[in-house]
Amino acid sequence: MKRLNVVLVSLALLCLMLPITAQPARETSTKAVTLTMGSWRTDDVEQMNRLLSEYKKIAPDVTIRFQPTNPPDYNATLRLQLDSNTGPDLMYARSYGAGLELFNAGYFADCTDIPGLMDNFSASNLAPWQTADGRMFAVPFAAVSHGVYYNKDIFRKEGLGIPNTWEDFLALCTTLKSRGYTPLANGLADEWDILETFFFGLLPNYVGTADQRVRYESGELKLNDRNFVAAYQAMADVAQFCPRGFESVTYNDSQVLFNSQRAVMFVDGSWTAGVYKDASFEWGIFAIPAPKGKHTAICFHPDMAITMNTKTKHPEEAKAFLAWLCTEQGATTASKNLPSGYFPMIKFPIKLENLHANEFLALNAGKETDARFVWPKLMHLYAPMNQAVIRVMKGQISAQAAADSVQALR
Amino acid sequence: MQASLKRANKHIVSHIVLVTWSLIVLFPLWTLVINSFKTRLTIYDNPFWIPKTWNFSNYQTVIRDGDFLTYFKNSFIVVSASLLLVTFFASLAAYALARYKNRFAQAYYFFFIAGMMVPIKIASIKLLELIRALGLLNTIWALPPIYVAMGLPVGIFILTAFIKDLPEELYEAALIDGSSSWNIYRQIVLPLVRPALASTAIYNLIPFWNDLWFPLIFINEEKEKTLLLGVTRLFGQYQTDWSRVLAVLTLSAIPVLLLYLAMSSQFIKGVTSGSVKG
Amino acid sequence: MRNHRTHHLVWLLYLAPALIMYSLFMAYPLLDSLRLSFFTGNNPATRVYVGFGNFEKLFTDPQISQRYWSAFFNTWVFFLIHLVVQNGLGILFAVMLTFDTMKARHVYQTIIFIPTTFAVLITGYLWKLMLNPVWSGDFFVSIGLPFLRHPWLGDTKTALIAVSLVSCWQWLGIPTMMFVAALRNISVELLEAALLEGAGNCKTFFLIKLPLIKPVVGIIAVLTFVNNFNAFDIVFAMTNVNGAPEYATDLIGTLFYRYGIAGQHPIGIPDAGLGSAIAVITLLLLLCVVIPTLKKTQKGGA
Repeated sequence: MKRLNVVLVSLALLCLMLPITAQPARETSTKAVTLTMGSWRTDDVEQMNRLLSEYKKIAPDVTIRFQPTNPPDYNATLRLQLDSNTGPDLMYARSYGAGLELFNAGYFADCTDIPGLMDNFSASNLAPWQTADGRMFAVPFAAVSHGVYYNKDIFRKEGLGIPNTWEDFLALCTTLKSRGYTPLANGLADEWDILETFFFGLLPNYVGTADQRVRYESGELKLNDRNFVAAYQAMADVAQFCPRGFESVTYNDSQVLFNSQRAVMFVDGSWTAGVYKDASFEWGIFAIPAPKGKHTAICFHPDMAITMNTKTKHPEEAKAFLAWLCTEQGATTASKNLPSGYFPMIKFPIKLENLHANEFLALNAGKETDARFVWPKLMHLYAPMNQAVIRVMKGQISAQAAADSVQALR
Repeated sequence: MQASLKRANKHIVSHIVLVTWSLIVLFPLWTLVINSFKTRLTIYDNPFWIPKTWNFSNYQTVIRDGDFLTYFKNSFIVVSASLLLVTFFASLAAYALARYKNRFAQAYYFFFIAGMMVPIKIASIKLLELIRALGLLNTIWALPPIYVAMGLPVGIFILTAFIKDLPEELYEAALIDGSSSWNIYRQIVLPLVRPALASTAIYNLIPFWNDLWFPLIFINEEKEKTLLLGVTRLFGQYQTDWSRVLAVLTLSAIPVLLLYLAMSSQFIKGVTSGSVKG
Repeated sequence: MRNHRTHHLVWLLYLAPALIMYSLFMAYPLLDSLRLSFFTGNNPATRVYVGFGNFEKLFTDPQISQRYWSAFFNTWVFFLIHLVVQNGLGILFAVMLTFDTMKARHVYQTIIFIPTTFAVLITGYLWKLMLNPVWSGDFFVSIGLPFLRHPWLGDTKTALIAVSLVSCWQWLGIPTMMFVAALRNISVELLEAALLEGAGNCKTFFLIKLPLIKPVVGIIAVLTFVNNFNAFDIVFAMTNVNGAPEYATDLIGTLFYRYGIAGQHPIGIPDAGLGSAIAVITLLLLLCVVIPTLKKTQKGGA
């Protein structure tokens, strides 16, 4: 009893003393302004901090703090913070529907009249963050590309070259497998990666780009037509080249497999390029080839934009930052410090320093590009398509059945 | 003869079972710790064995990147304050509900118990507004009110059952003396419910300490973050480096583990000594 | 003896602190959120009254109701595994630990409780790594257990069981401790009498110990049930919020999170009203199960 009393009393005293020491940070001077920037890119803390410190050189009174939230938590916590007025001043906006909804709910500020925005970006680059009546709710920041990372050393050793058609690609994988390699590092555990990087990466090869996509969106073309079935079949065909137990392989596992040379190729997005910068082997990228007779197209996806909170306490400073991103000088500085694998979307030609980033961009030459298929208008088909791809790769359903399942929900 | 042989025998079986389970518990922990001393790629080489070369840089980086001392201090304050208040308030309420039977007691009891079944998370938006209105947002003091409210149902549940179990004879002497209810509470009930208080505290300690959700939505300020919240940012940053993630996990598991190991004898003593009755 | 009125006031005073905290920070926000189940939309600007629309949607919309019943079924499986493994082993260990002449029981007790002290995120990540064939597969083959190399968390047939077992591993300490406490409460004379009668361990257990700890068994079953029907963190840590693979590990908790708070991962739009409807249904279910169970197992009712 006595001991319990002592413990309780000391804990109580401890608790009473400590409120004095736990105080929220206060702004010290009235001139200096601190803005917060929210994002789901926890991987980019270093690079973004560099970028933001570059901005500080231009606007010394403004400090912008990059405060990303873990991707799985981002949606939920952002929503809650916005709902209760504690959201960040600036934040990343997802493209199309997901971002639009937050704008319609009144959280994202209208950015249409930010100087330079409407002039310095092409219409197709503005579109992902534009409402139906032409207003902009964010400033386009970066686009991403998708391709096949490959181990140049192993290719050289085995005397293999970059495949030009899908059939060549499959033959290449078969050869690698017969020689004891794991051709592909891709897995299914995280679900989103197989869909966004692989399936949507190769889909333009089969169904075409923007002008074809709108025909699917309007219902003129069916989502289970021959082209779609062929695309699902392509996924089914590569399942055997993925690591053994690939159902459990997560996105991070895939990166490690490629990085440790236990897998020869990895179909992934350009944003991972930075992970391999210190790789012990030489690597390169090639585009996912289209089957014979079709044209290879690249999935070049407008991914991130930055917008400001309608309820920010520092609208002037936030707007100034966004305007800076629309200038040539600002965009160039930003691009220099963008995490590798992100591409600027502004009109001005910007030379990227990173070799691999340039390699990715070079893939676009002479090819058509499009955003990921479901993003503009068919977002509700994301999950069904995802499940269809997974099931067809596991061999549970045929390619036709997979395509049918998505068409049924259209 | 037969009986004592049987008893000795059963204990061997018990030991085998318990040792097996202990291995099942300790093996993953072993895996956790040794792999935190490997590097990003070498953890795949010999997953369950000690590293060929011990890599301490993970811990150095992690400690440098994350303000562990601050996170830990915050978690400690929040959890201690919450547990103190929960056990105290719950014991008061349980005393009232278990001892003084009136019409309302049943109603209040069910009112409290209902709270055990609903995930308080769904009330998050309203809670956020409340905390903001109270001016506690972005401070560690946003958390104790929530945790106390969260822990009260179970506390009242456990303590009411326990107090109800106390035999009537205990009170007879006090009632004859005309002791006030407060004295009865303090001198008779409180000492005897120690095990139930300990149960309540330990039962709530874990969810309070390991809660991620409310710190996540209430606290943005780095200096006010609790341990798990501060640590999850590092998960994202290191997600391609498992060895570093494991170092983070190990560091964040240590505080509670030590706390538990220090308290466990207290708890066990409470369980064994406080509840033997005539 | 005392004036009835003062007495009542004093009684309320005891209840007051708990009542205030609980009402302000739990009851009121929850009731307000339940009110949300009759609306749709995520914030005051876009909210629209729909009456029972959300509930209708939950049970009649083909996609949503399929997800709901699948999560419902999975949660029951999750719970039953906990009942058998977590609580069953808990009783078993507690009985063993409370044998009179059991040596080293403090050591065992301490070890058993260790996983419970970890954050679910920690155990989730750790086991996810260990169950990953890419990481541990070669090891299992090398020690002659090739059948252990399997994508446990990727196979729809095994994923839920794997997640459930890890959750049992994590929480087993709590029932064990509570059963130990309950068993200790059984009077020594009773047990000695049984021993003198020649009752072996099994008979003693089923005829004396088990009936006497029935209230605790009931309480723990109820707590397990409630916790399992709100479980979220373990799936979040081990697979993902969608209940991968193919919704095999989708629980009511993750379903609620997806529909009500965060939206389908990674890109989705939630509906707080629908989420609240799910919460209401869950609450009703819990009430229907918990109250009878408590009535049956507690002595003399609540």
